[in-house]
Amino acid sequence: MRKVAVLAVALALVCLGATGALAKPASAKLNADSGPGCGLGKMAWQGYKQQKNIGPQILMGITNQWFPPFNQSFGISYETSGCTNDEKLWAEEQATMFAAIDFENLSQDMAQGGGEHLASLATLLGVPAEHQAEFFAMTQERYTSLVQSGDASPVALVKALHEVMAAHPVLAKVSTAR
Amino acid sequence: MHASPPLRKQAGLALAFLLIAAMAEAIEPADDSYLAELIRRAAAAKLSEERYWHLLLHYRQNLTGGYTSEQDDPGFFLATNGKIDPRAELEATLAQFFSTELVGRSRQPAQCAFIARYQWLKERLSFDERRLRPQPCDRFQAWLGEMNPQSISLIFPSAFMNNPASMFGHTLLRIDQKGQTEQTRILAYTINYAADVPPGEGVLFAVRGIFGSYKGYFSTIPYYLKVKEYRDIENRDIWEYRLTFSEGQIRRMLMHAWELGNASFDYYFFKENCSYHLLSLLEVADPALSLTDHFLLWTVPADTVRLVTRQPGLVGEIAYRPSRSTQIRRKRATLSEEERRWMERIMQDPSLSRSDEFRRLSTERQAFVLDLTSDYLRYRSATEEEKAESYKEKNRSVLVARSELKIQSPDFRVQPFASAPEQGHKTSRAGIGFGWRNDDTYEELAIRAGYHDLLDPEIGYTPDAQIELLSAKFRHYNRKDQTRLEQFTFANVLSLSPMDALFNTPSWKISAGTQTIVHNQCTLCTNWNLNGGIGAAAETTLLRREVYFAFAEADANYSQAYDERHRVGGGGTIGMLGDLADRWRLIVSGSYLRYALGEQSDDFRWFVGQRYTLGQNLAVRLEYNHRDHDDDVVFAVQAFF
Repeated sequence: MRKVAVLAVALALVCLGATGALAKPASAKLNADSGPGCGLGKMAWQGYKQQKNIGPQILMGITNQWFPPFNQSFGISYETSGCTNDEKLWAEEQATMFAAIDFENLSQDMAQGGGEHLASLATLLGVPAEHQAEFFAMTQERYTSLVQSGDASPVALVKALHEVMAAHPVLAKVSTAR
Repeated sequence: MHASPPLRKQAGLALAFLLIAAMAEAIEPADDSYLAELIRRAAAAKLSEERYWHLLLHYRQNLTGGYTSEQDDPGFFLATNGKIDPRAELEATLAQFFSTELVGRSRQPAQCAFIARYQWLKERLSFDERRLRPQPCDRFQAWLGEMNPQSISLIFPSAFMNNPASMFGHTLLRIDQKGQTEQTRILAYTINYAADVPPGEGVLFAVRGIFGSYKGYFSTIPYYLKVKEYRDIENRDIWEYRLTFSEGQIRRMLMHAWELGNASFDYYFFKENCSYHLLSLLEVADPALSLTDHFLLWTVPADTVRLVTRQPGLVGEIAYRPSRSTQIRRKRATLSEEERRWMERIMQDPSLSRSDEFRRLSTERQAFVLDLTSDYLRYRSATEEEKAESYKEKNRSVLVARSELKIQSPDFRVQPFASAPEQGHKTSRAGIGFGWRNDDTYEELAIRAGYHDLLDPEIGYTPDAQIELLSAKFRHYNRKDQTRLEQFTFANVLSLSPMDALFNTPSWKISAGTQTIVHNQCTLCTNWNLNGGIGAAAETTLLRREVYFAFAEADANYSQAYDERHRVGGGGTIGMLGDLADRWRLIVSGSYLRYALGEQSDDFRWFVGQRYTLGQNLAVRLEYNHRDHDDDVVFAVQAFF
């Protein structure tokens, strides 16, 4: 009945929004000045020097509901120190972050031989749209080992994908590995 | 080593000359005469009275004719009284453009921190770039480059009954990227406005939220995170409305969004909420739109969606993204009896997905059953935290078996259960009616602030869900010649979740308000009532779609009609609702309640209600209420506004 009691009081609330009232980290200071100058990711990475642990931590944040622990990273605020002009590194970071957050959807797409999550990852990895079917077939073929890498960390998954792409007769040539 | 004295003198002179030149260079931007000229021209052109300036600074006119900005962060203003003085703010802004000093929460030169103001004033006053030097805004350019905007979509995750903060839905904007395809739109960034609520606020957060004691901020969360939150975790259908803004309009909007990085608004759940502030961004993109003025007291997200879709030519393509549970229901409806059994068995024992027996199904059907099973296991792991691990484990085995089939799943078009929100009725309602009660007749006037009840036209709303807030009915009884507040509802919320083999969410209801009762010696008495219940629902599709429900409930009453003025008890309700025709809905319910505390008594109640839809915002109803020796029939016409 506790739920009902909360509901009774909160009935009238209109779109409090994504933040959710129930589970946000205490330290969350939205829109702090240390936000990402380049759109995403700086804060998310700052706290996780040991990148091996990123996946589990972020996933935990999400599956424990509502919102990842780096909510504040996406405030529209800006500091140049977070930016990198190294496009290759940036593309890599985006792919890794996506792999971390969307891992469950990605593994489903890999098993099913395609889907928007996998197509998006392929795009981040520089696979042109007309060759994504090959990418899909390849990830389905190597499903078990790729998911094992993904379990270890998103970094390992992205690395494993780069490796199998480099060994692939077509993908190795067409990928614009940024 | 020493330079000879004359040389040193020369060097000194040269240095002094250079210094003066450098100072002149530094001073030049702060060209007082040019600033004065700009201020004069701005005043002559009455720029501070223009709508666009008011939009950029979020000024609203007061009752007294003055202006106050809805923006509550002092860092957003450059004049100390900027919040209430558009002209002072404009002049201070012009002055600050001459400086490289870092301002605002984001610590940038004013030209960059308030880039939309700068661009607008530059255009309107044709700044002389030699006398007011433009400063490079690398951070903004990098940010804009990362957004890579092509178009803007309004995103509407529909209502979610089981989280009070989401009962009315939510809206956000998506910045569609250049080169984005239907497959990669999840990579786009969003512009999202949300309150920053500290953890552990519990019930208090509702109260604080209503009175604006939280700060609201804009953020640019990637869309895939929002999809994960709404579709995967909360099981909400998402609607996407592509807006037809031009490149210049999109750029204006993003420049202003960038300025809002300096900003925080006090967050008011009712009015100045997510939807309200998104509308103000749309107005900045196209000042010819007048959107925020439509909302005086509250801003319901679905109403803003309807308002936006009503603007001529503003909305292009509309896309629907089904929640996981919608996907599961639709897919399962296509399974054969045998496939259903397989799904259930594989859920129990995933290793069966590799059995020879299962492999006798065609590869396509195996893939379909395994995909659906995987969806369902993920649904369960998201909704039952304590068993999440075991569902994930099972899902993993299912996916391994699925990958071995080596075929791609074809697209499966999912039809929504709740049709397009933009076609729904508006949320406030007024009605006029007449009826009979026992041996009297009456006329009735009714008004309701929001939002939707089970008998209202269902198009565009979450099926089987009801939220009524602040509703009042006034009646004039003719024979008694009495006018009274017949009924007042603070809130009446009900959520029916039909159960079946796969879904077992309980149904629940809660209501608080007053009614007029006939009891003991009192023929028309006000009764204060609080009722809550928990139950179950089931559905059939005999005629169209019928939902049956049963509740166990607690009921408390306070009225002078009762001995000891109150009675408290419990009981149950059963009922059904269904559509007899496209526009014709019927609800029947019966309750038995027994009161053990206060006046010891019991109650039998019956209710039969029918609604016929005349138009998107017009309906008629015929309702019959029976309670003890009290019979009441009312016919009413209702309009939504």
